[in-house]
Amino acid sequence: MGLLNFTREPVPEAVSGDMHNLNQLSAQQFSALTEVLFRFLTEPKEVERFLTQLSDFATMNKISLGPLKNIVKSILLVPNGALKRNLSSEQVRADFIALGLSEEKASYFAEQWKVNSPTLTRLAVGQTLMINQLIDMEWKFGVTAGSSELEKVGSIFLQLKLVVKKGSQLENVYVELTLPQFYSFLHEMERVKTSLESFS
Amino acid sequence: MAALRDGDFAALQILLKAPSKDAVRQLCQECFSSPPAALGPLAQRACPGLAVSAEEAEQLVSALHNLTRHVVYRGLTRAEDILCLFPENFHQNLKNLLTKIILENISAWRNEAQASQISLPRLVDMDWRVDIKTSSDSIIRMAVPTCLLQLKIQEDAALCGNNPVVSALTVELSKETLDTMLEGLGRIRDQLSAVANK
Repeated sequence: MGLLNFTREPVPEAVSGDMHNLNQLSAQQFSALTEVLFRFLTEPKEVERFLTQLSDFATMNKISLGPLKNIVKSILLVPNGALKRNLSSEQVRADFIALGLSEEKASYFAEQWKVNSPTLTRLAVGQTLMINQLIDMEWKFGVTAGSSELEKVGSIFLQLKLVVKKGSQLENVYVELTLPQFYSFLHEMERVKTSLESFS
Repeated sequence: MAALRDGDFAALQILLKAPSKDAVRQLCQECFSSPPAALGPLAQRACPGLAVSAEEAEQLVSALHNLTRHVVYRGLTRAEDILCLFPENFHQNLKNLLTKIILENISAWRNEAQASQISLPRLVDMDWRVDIKTSSDSIIRMAVPTCLLQLKIQEDAALCGNNPVVSALTVELSKETLDTMLEGLGRIRDQLSAVANK
């Protein structure tokens, strides 16, 4: 096997056997399986649904679930590596052919990859580590009418509640700003936006 | 917040024993700024200067605290309003001196009261930087801009006394989050202008 695009490590031995089994599927069966796979890749949280669909596929096509799961594991190696390395659809196709998949099926999979890769890339970027990610911001502003030291006040306050993700937990942070601070904050945030846009 | 009591004006007359007008001025300022709990020590410090007993010093300091705080609370700004507070038989010159001192300090005192009122933790500073993420374990090559925002937040001043606790919170915002946040802030600005224009 020549150099693969999607990985630098040696591929597990079982993979060529699994590709051989895949070649035995009809075009229709392969297309149905590919659909199940991409639906899972674009919605990785739906593990239950994925397993159910795999099980249905196995039943409908009279394949045992165990071997099918192994085949799926082998197939998934390629899109996962391809996503990490921003591979093009030609590279994905070449890799499948190098692994032993028929040209027809490799081309079909590569096509599906092309269609789905923007969504998948966005998902992968979204999974990238974020420190103390800001999830939500709630706000209220009002007027301080009076206090124990001043009978009549009449000053404006702004209160922000920031919901921050620390590790796996959400933490609420409450802050109060005066009016000048608010305008200065707004001004700074607009500068950040300009900066981010110039790099996009 | 302290309310004016009957014995207060009697106690205030002790000020007639003060060495100078400046001493009175100084004492007024210290009495206003001091929280009720710190009035005792303040009275002890004032004792020698006034040549009065400890008990009399305490009554005076307490009375001065109540008077100054009361004026600030009511928001009195005119000499007539302050003069009205004093009883008929109060020493004329002392009354005028105290009114003058209070009027001199009233706006600074008002600001002081507002600055120390209770509030949620306050924003004291903010800094930001923009990073470009070039690589991660989920994607080997990318160019995703992201913003790190550091907010310095101070706990309620009244709870901390002289040692304010300032904590720094660093949050990361993606471009989408920032856009949403700016939308929210823009809405606040619009509502503020609507209120201001009424």
